[in-house]
Amino acid sequence: MALLEVRNVTMKFGSLVANDDVSFDVEKGSVVGLIGPNGAGKTTLFNCISGFYKPTSGKLFFRGQDVTDMPAYAVARLGAVRTFQVVHPLKEMTVLDNVLVGAFLRGASAEKAHEVARECLSLCQLEEISDRMAGGLPIGYKKRLEMARALATGPELLMLDEGMAGLTSTEIKAAVEIIKGLQKRGITLLVVEHIMEAIMSVADKIVVLDGGVKIAEGAPQEVVNDERVITAYLGAKFSQRLQASRGGANNG
Amino acid sequence: MKARGKTEGKDLLWFGLLGVLAVMPLIPGPLQGSFTQHVMIQILLYACMAQAWNILGGYCGQVSFGHSVFFGIGAYGAGMAVVKYGMIPWPGAIAGALIAAAVAVAISYPCFKLKGHYFAIATFAIVEICNRLFMVWYWVGGALGLDYSFSEPGWTHFVWYESKRGYFYGALLLFILVFGVVRWIEKNRLGFYLRAVREGQETAESLGVNSTKVKLMAMAVSAFMAALCGAFFAQYNYRVDPPMVMSLDMSMKFVLITILGGLGTFYGPLLGAALLIPLQEYSRALLGGMGGGVDLIIFGLLIIVVVVYQPKGIMGIIDGIASKMKRSEEGGK
Repeated sequence: MALLEVRNVTMKFGSLVANDDVSFDVEKGSVVGLIGPNGAGKTTLFNCISGFYKPTSGKLFFRGQDVTDMPAYAVARLGAVRTFQVVHPLKEMTVLDNVLVGAFLRGASAEKAHEVARECLSLCQLEEISDRMAGGLPIGYKKRLEMARALATGPELLMLDEGMAGLTSTEIKAAVEIIKGLQKRGITLLVVEHIMEAIMSVADKIVVLDGGVKIAEGAPQEVVNDERVITAYLGAKFSQRLQASRGGANNG
Repeated sequence: MKARGKTEGKDLLWFGLLGVLAVMPLIPGPLQGSFTQHVMIQILLYACMAQAWNILGGYCGQVSFGHSVFFGIGAYGAGMAVVKYGMIPWPGAIAGALIAAAVAVAISYPCFKLKGHYFAIATFAIVEICNRLFMVWYWVGGALGLDYSFSEPGWTHFVWYESKRGYFYGALLLFILVFGVVRWIEKNRLGFYLRAVREGQETAESLGVNSTKVKLMAMAVSAFMAALCGAFFAQYNYRVDPPMVMSLDMSMKFVLITILGGLGTFYGPLLGAALLIPLQEYSRALLGGMGGGVDLIIFGLLIIVVVVYQPKGIMGIIDGIASKMKRSEEGGK
């Protein structure tokens, strides 16, 4: 049994179909990348999994439990915690306080929560600024704060929604290292990411969405060579040219 | 280490303040005057009311204009026990507080489904409804209200006639209770959850916080405390009637004192009350002849000035000065 099972999830907003019959599994201990062009329905799917939306049809199972109809906080308590693509810092609270909110999920003891929060801050390299107000931080820090806060809840499945968008290449490298560190700690990750090279180096499996439909699923190398994926990302014309040039290379 | 130093400083300030307040009525001189003592009692009482409101409005960010209802229920709790049933006021005060908390949860459960300003507007309506209801409710004395008859002065009946010192210590006990509870909340999980819900309900939910439950808890604690303040108010005035306690005027005081002092801060409600109440009482004493409402005009002007100049209230001004001093100190090094 996979840790997270997505079964035929369809999400409609009026006549718009944001997710159409999407199914895949996230195995315990793996890193799964969820990619696709803009408007492919990645964030919508995230919202369904994390309990912010109730899918129009289909089922979601986490740790074998049906979480389709659970409210967001209950899903988080079960151990599936997400971050937001558009960062949501608790502005008028310090960085430490932000992380403490997450840390209190696993117990009411203030002492224990501080301990957990400190650990997560150091893991995400935020100790230096722990006393600063979260609202005034630069974006790179805010992104890491999202991660630290989610991490403090002690999740079994951590879902990162474009945690690296808008970061510099050095920051991306740091973020990739953090993700690898999390995997070593036994945390399963489901990562929405636009930046291909970042996701390729960490993911065990990649799921590709386009227009709300799952068009490919598999190991990173398989997926990047998939014709439909190339078409989705680069357009049909480029895909044909690529195929042609490959064909030519093979012949020659 | 740094964090510990900070907590010790906070403890020192809190216990120091309590010490000063405890000896204040014993100092001979101008503090012995009956009017001065009246003002001091009012400051403590209104500070408690504002702090009770602050739990919900400041820390949790849910602006309620309905707190005079809970205040009133507490006042009627004590009043009914004394006047109707000839009992001591204590069980009435506790019962009133429990009923206030229950009523608060019952009316806010649907109201919390309303977002932002709509919650505030809904609470407005509740004050009017309860005011009218109590006006015509014969069992609780209707428009005439409940008048206390003479009872033995002292702590048992919680009335004093000759000196106000008993009331002062009663108000101080209330102050220790209300502020003590908020101090505890601030340091513990509930305090972090309250602020998380204020700063972003979605984010809080994503971190496993049941925001509806948190808001209802804030409401219950807040209403319970407000009702205890109401019980004290009835005991202090020897009477209770609907316009005295359940009015928008009274509701506004909960809100304005907190805003003036600093929303969501621990000392804000005390500072707000310490500034507004003397102004209110002295202007009423001096300008009372000009007709009612002069104190409210001053009240309003002051709020406008503070909110324009520093939306975070007096605490915001103090923080600003403190960080400026800290910076110049660091610059000096």
